[in-house]
Order: sequence, then structure tokens, then C-alpha cells
Amino acid sequence: MSLPLLPTTTVGSFPKPEYLLRARAQRTRGEISPQTLQELEEKATREWIELQERLGLDILVDGEMYRGDMATYFAENLEGLKISGLVRSYGNRYYRKPIVTGSIQRSRPVTVRWWRFTQSLTKKPVKGMLTGPYTLMDWSFDEHYGSRRDCALAFAEALREEAEDLERAGATYIQIDEPAVSVRPQELELAIEALGCVTQNLKVKTITHICYGRFEEIYPEMLRLPVDQIDLEMANSGYDLLNLFKKNPFDKEIGLGVLDVHSHHVETEEQILSGLQKTLKVLSPEQVTVDPDCGLKTRTREEVEKKLAVMVSAVKKLRQELKSPAAR
Amino acid sequence: MPRLIVTAVNHYPKIPNLPRSAHLRQAIAQFQEGKISPQDLSRVQEEVTREVLQEQQEAGLDLVTDGQIRWEDLATYLAQGMEGFRVTGLVRLYDTNTYYRQPVAERKVSWKGPILVRDLQGAQKNSSVPVKAVLTGPYTLASLCLHPAYPRWEEFVLDLARALRQEIGALEAEGKAVWIQIDEPNLVFEKRPSFWPLFKEAFQLLTSGTSVPIILQTYYGGLDGLYPEILQLPFRVLGMDFVTAPANWKLLENHPFPKGKGLAAGIIDARNTKMESPSEISSRIERLLALCPQADPIHLQPHCGLEFLPRETAQRKLEILARAAQPFKFQREPVQ
Repeated sequence: MSLPLLPTTTVGSFPKPEYLLRARAQRTRGEISPQTLQELEEKATREWIELQERLGLDILVDGEMYRGDMATYFAENLEGLKISGLVRSYGNRYYRKPIVTGSIQRSRPVTVRWWRFTQSLTKKPVKGMLTGPYTLMDWSFDEHYGSRRDCALAFAEALREEAEDLERAGATYIQIDEPAVSVRPQELELAIEALGCVTQNLKVKTITHICYGRFEEIYPEMLRLPVDQIDLEMANSGYDLLNLFKKNPFDKEIGLGVLDVHSHHVETEEQILSGLQKTLKVLSPEQVTVDPDCGLKTRTREEVEKKLAVMVSAVKKLRQELKSPAAR
Repeated sequence: MPRLIVTAVNHYPKIPNLPRSAHLRQAIAQFQEGKISPQDLSRVQEEVTREVLQEQQEAGLDLVTDGQIRWEDLATYLAQGMEGFRVTGLVRLYDTNTYYRQPVAERKVSWKGPILVRDLQGAQKNSSVPVKAVLTGPYTLASLCLHPAYPRWEEFVLDLARALRQEIGALEAEGKAVWIQIDEPNLVFEKRPSFWPLFKEAFQLLTSGTSVPIILQTYYGGLDGLYPEILQLPFRVLGMDFVTAPANWKLLENHPFPKGKGLAAGIIDARNTKMESPSEISSRIERLLALCPQADPIHLQPHCGLEFLPRETAQRKLEILARAAQPFKFQREPVQ
């Protein structure tokens, strides 16, 4: 399937509808069966696919209706891991961390069934979505390996099997998120090694999402991350990364975050267009895929719909401009 | 033989896990929804502070903190108590997967009244062992904030030192503090040798004329490049993190810890659920005693605050530490 110039997509997560949040709580208390919960997860996934199609996005995601958290979900589905008690991440927010208690193994596919289900709902490509090995290691307590490298590479081996299964199932885009990469510049080499282990045999398009961090210390070295596309938050930092790209050319594809996911404010078409135009002074349009800064799960459905609608319409306008002879 | 004091560094997990109820989490949520008053929230914070004081004592600590139950992070509680700051969006805290709200100095910053005195008094009332007052030092606080009101960062650091000096005065006079700890993780997390003279100036300003024993606490990095020179600073006890920075052992080997100062040694990992074995802890204590026979006192502690762990794990770590330290304390008794 051929994509238009400046294809649009999202980073992965969408908010869970009220009925699903209720059902997850009921499931925790044993009040409903796993089947009932799964039916509601499928219903919610269907709704997000419908919305993405209606908005005219080009590359779709399942919205992660069946995941609690991007790290614990994998911990729950791989061998050698447990889940901790609650720890605080900021303010009044708490989460459970994976604990590596033994050798990490994948005894069965983790995300493949969900990918197949979601792809069966649409003719547009649906991305396979994984959390990267470096991030899983960084966000887990390690009681087993005692070495950050050994632990990351063990996660990488399990994720390599998973990514290859997604490719065999027919996924044409596999995104392996590494939000933790920008935090410890001295460990970039490890992140590159571990991600390379996951992507080494893949022929499909590979993407990694990195959250905002100390880019000035890992750029341009981070361009060696072994993927086709790096997805970056640009909007919430006023596109300041472009200054780094002016000094050292960004030689991969970029997933260009144009929506601030932490703000209730819906961007205007002008804001998005001005960000895109700034970007196209530094990068060629063939390099650029347009998306929000990060997962949208903390926004309401209404905010998601409005933000994505503006993003798609801004991109369509720009495509027209790029086509017109005046722009040539 | 130095006196051994088992202690915790600063924060303690705010909520327990099931079956115990997370009443502080619920209270904060209700407060944010406008369903309970600030006084109601404050009562719950007080109650939780009593719980965590109790847990630290049960674990066997000789010196405790109030667990910083009212703090969200190491910057905002102090900044909100001072003149000149506005607290803004979330920023990642060091290399942890946690965030803090970044304070911005929009005007000249100054002390406008005691921030921690009531908390300290409340904690002392509810503790049968001494309580240390903990505050984030000017250098670290400045590093965590934006400072549009200050064209020169040095001026910002020194103004914070002046403001915090007044807080220390209040903790001393009104709070009857017996130990005051100054946390300066930035000194070792992100080493910038060019700021060392500034750090020294700020620390001198901060501590001038005080008579309470001061602990200069460092964590998330080693003192290479700063030790032994740092020993010249006017503190009573120096905190060193041996978990993040095993190289700190080498520093002690190369330059013995002097007489007249104490060492606060972070020897158990406060960022991993893996439990240290009693024998591991014992051998670390033995190594400290062998390397630093002149240090007095020696504080034995986790390498940083405990909020990165689930509450039950945090308490167990403290128990294991206190139990491992026990036999060494008895050795001190003179055998006649």
C-alpha cells in the first residue's frame, strides 16, 4: 500500500473509555471473567480504529486498550518477571514496576494476537508495538542479572522473537519504543546494542520513539540506533531539536511530534503548519512522518479527536502546497 | 571505635500496599477534586508521618526523618515556601524514572518564614529517637529550577543560600533541631568543576554561625575530584554513596577519613528491591570500620531516599541494615 507524502500516525496509546476502566477494576476484584474484559477491550479497539479511519490517519495503532502500562504489560507476559508493589512516579501518581527475578524468556507470543485482531479491522497498516529492551531494563528492578547490559540483552532476545513473529504475521511497521534512552547518555551504546539485537533480522520498517531528554549529549550518536525512523517530541520543546539537526544532518526518517500531549489546549492549524514548515527547511518531506509528541492516553477522547483532526487537516493543506508548482 | 548510627537518608514511601489502605493517595485525590479542605489533607499527612516514624523505629533506626510526607520532590516544597518562585511543568528527576514540578524564580528569591519548623516539631513529638531535619541545599535547588529573574546563576545560588540560612536558623532556634542535613546530589550527579568555588561559597554562607551539627549529604555519584578537599568544608558529617559510586571506597583507601568528622555511608541499594544479605552488609560495615577508624560518628544508611521502593520493601531494607549493624554496636562497649 502506498502512502501519501508526510504520512500521519500516532505514537501508540489512546485513553481507555470509562466502561473499560470500570471493567478493568472489576476484573481485578474478580467480579467479571477474563472473556468479558477481553470483549470490552476489543470493542474499545474497534472504536479507536473507526476514529482513526474517520480522521484519515495513514498508519494506525491498536491504542493499547489491553495494556496497563508499557513496561508492566511485557513483564506480565514474559517468564522471569514479577510485578512490584506501588511506587510513586510524581505528584499523586503511582505505578507498579517489573521485577526481574529469573532468566527472561518468552514462552509464547505476547502482542501478535492483538496485532492480528486489529489489522483485521482495517485495510490501512497497523503498527506492531513493542517496548524496547533498554527501557524495559531501565524501568525494572533487577534481582537476577546484576548487570544492566546482561539484563537489557536478555529482554532484547525475547523482544527479537516477538518482533520476528509480528513480521511473520504480516506487520509492515514495527515500533520499538525506547523512551528511557535519552536519560543516561553514557549508556547510549548499550541501547544501540540491545535494539540492534531486536531489529537485526527484520525487513519491515522499524521505528523507535524516544522521549524528550538530554539530546544535546546523545546527538548525533543516537542516529546509530538501528531503526529506519526515530520518533521525537518536537512540539513541546518548540522544535528546538532542529538546531541540532542544522549542525549535524538528521539522516534517518523522523516521526515528527507536532502535538503537545501534556496540554489540554488544542493546537491551531497555523501552529502545526508553522512547525512543519520550520522542519522542512532542515529536513526533506520524504523523511517526515507526522504524529503527536507521545502517546495520547492521558488526554480525553474529545481532546484526542480534536487534536488529531487539526493535525491531519494541517498536513493535507501542506501536501497541497508542496504539490502546487509555486512550491517547486 | 566510632559510634554507629543507623539512619535513613530523606524520603520514605508515602503509601503502603494492600491489604493496608493508601489513605494519603485518596486524600490527595479528594483534595484535588475540592472534596476535602487543606486542613483535612494536613491531618492525613500528619497521620501518615506518624506511621512512617513508627515504621522507621520498628525497623531499628537510631536517627529518623519525617519521611518528607508533605514533599512531592526535593525542589517544590522548599520553593513554594519561599518568596519569588512559581512552580511549573514536569521535568525528569536525574536518571530516575520519576518527575518533579520545576520551580521558576520569577522574582528575587527570599525567605519569608519557617518552612520546615512545624514539620520537625511534629515529628519530634511523635518519635522516641532523634529526628534529623533535611533540606535540599542551595546548589542542588538552584540546579533544579529555572531562574529568569537572575541573569547570573551564581547570584541565584547565593540568594538561595541566604534564604536557606534563615531556615536553618529557625530550625535551630524554634525547632530545636539536633541534626540538620543538607542534600546536595547535584554536586556529584553532574560534576562541573568550574562550580566548585561557588559551591564552597554557598555552603559557607549556609552554615556560618550555626551550632547544630550539619550533615552534607551526597548521592547519585562519587566524590572523585572533590575528596579530600571537600573535608575542609564546615560540616560535621559527610554523606557518601557507595552503591552508585563504588569508587568512593578507593577514595577512602587513598586518603583516610580524618579525625573530628563523621561519615554517613550509603551502603544499601535504595533503588532496587533485591535484598542485601546480612553477610554482605556486615562486610561493608567491617570495611568502613577498617578504612575509617577515626571517623566519628559513622551513619549507616541506604544510598538515597526510599521512595523508589514499595513501602514494605523499604522497611525490610532498613530492618536488615539495622540488624546487621547491631553486633558492631555491641563491640563498642569496653570489655574490662
